[in-house]
Amino acid sequence: MQLALNATLTNVEAPERTGSELDDIDALVRTYRPRLLRFVTFAIGDADLAESITQDCFLKAYNGRASFRGDCAVNTWLTSIAMNLIRDQQRLQKFRFWRQARATAIDVNEAANFLPSKECSAESRILIKEQTRQVQAALEHLSVNQRSIFLMRFAEDMELAEIAAAIHMPLNTVKTHLHRALKSVRAQVGGSR
Amino acid sequence: MNSTPHLSEREIDSVLIGAPAAGITAHLSQCGHCRQRVAEARVPITRFKAVTLSWSERQSATLPLRSSTAGSMTWKRRAALAATATAALLIGLAIPLTKSELQFAPESAGHRAGSSTAEVAAVSAPALSATMKRNSATAQAATTDVADNEQDEQIARDNQMLQNINQALDNPVESPADAYSLQPVDGHQQAAPLTELN
Ligand SMILES: [Zn+2]
Repeated sequence: MQLALNATLTNVEAPERTGSELDDIDALVRTYRPRLLRFVTFAIGDADLAESITQDCFLKAYNGRASFRGDCAVNTWLTSIAMNLIRDQQRLQKFRFWRQARATAIDVNEAANFLPSKECSAESRILIKEQTRQVQAALEHLSVNQRSIFLMRFAEDMELAEIAAAIHMPLNTVKTHLHRALKSVRAQVGGSR
Repeated sequence: MNSTPHLSEREIDSVLIGAPAAGITAHLSQCGHCRQRVAEARVPITRFKAVTLSWSERQSATLPLRSSTAGSMTWKRRAALAATATAALLIGLAIPLTKSELQFAPESAGHRAGSSTAEVAAVSAPALSATMKRNSATAQAATTDVADNEQDEQIARDNQMLQNINQALDNPVESPADAYSLQPVDGHQQAAPLTELN
């Protein structure tokens, strides 16, 4: 399936990638791990398991790097692999394995303190934390699919066609999921104003 | 201002999603009020994006690739594993003592405890770089199959140990995954092999 080039990556420069660049696993992990970890963590809501899936994802990407044809951004490709792994986990019910372990708290509050300083007033930081918590809370009420699609669009800046291709879902279904997710998120944020 | 009615909330959403109808784009180009609404609706999402990336970057900085899963296990999981090992040790002690009081009892107990330890070790993921090096030494297609097989075996071992843990503790705790109402994906949404991703 042909994916449009993702020109909207904001945090990672995406020069033309070649297969040989994927051979440098250290650079691959260093460059893409934060975003991939974020996607998986907030898609499944379990920081411990997200670490494991992220690690598996890099392994799988590295082993299958020959299949990367460069027709989408590396981040998009990795996100697709991660999505498959998340679904594998769901199918195999490996989540059961974690029954005895509580989810590692995904406490993003502290992270707000390390944002760039342009919004550094204490007041705006409180607001940022509150809004982040609200979005996070809204996402918790969505299905894994809806959460994942929301994250692909609004955190990973993937185009709608890329999302549809990544999760093998019709474009209109992707839009429907996004509308539901966004409605939920905006209601949560707006409802607390 | 223009004469058309302002955008509905759903139309605002469609702008954020990136799939607005032509009329919506036209309205936005003329209506500062609705442009402001779109901008305001975008703010919390943009902040969520920035904060979660900041969180993830810190996680990646402070928790680099694990040399062992055990290193980052939660204390409850460690406690569960310890309980399993203890249970195995007790069973190991009890069986030979019940059968007879032969001198093999300590070895037997040690062996059983050792098995449990081995099981724990099997659950721990190998260091990523070590696995990479091992896998890259073999043909790629073959390693993918091997990795999948290993994954299946790993999952089987994990699930077996889960049962052991559950039996040992008999202390049901709500699954973190339960909070997310995880459901098997629909048939038509099945993930495809990697080769179909591109
Ligand atoms: Zn308007």
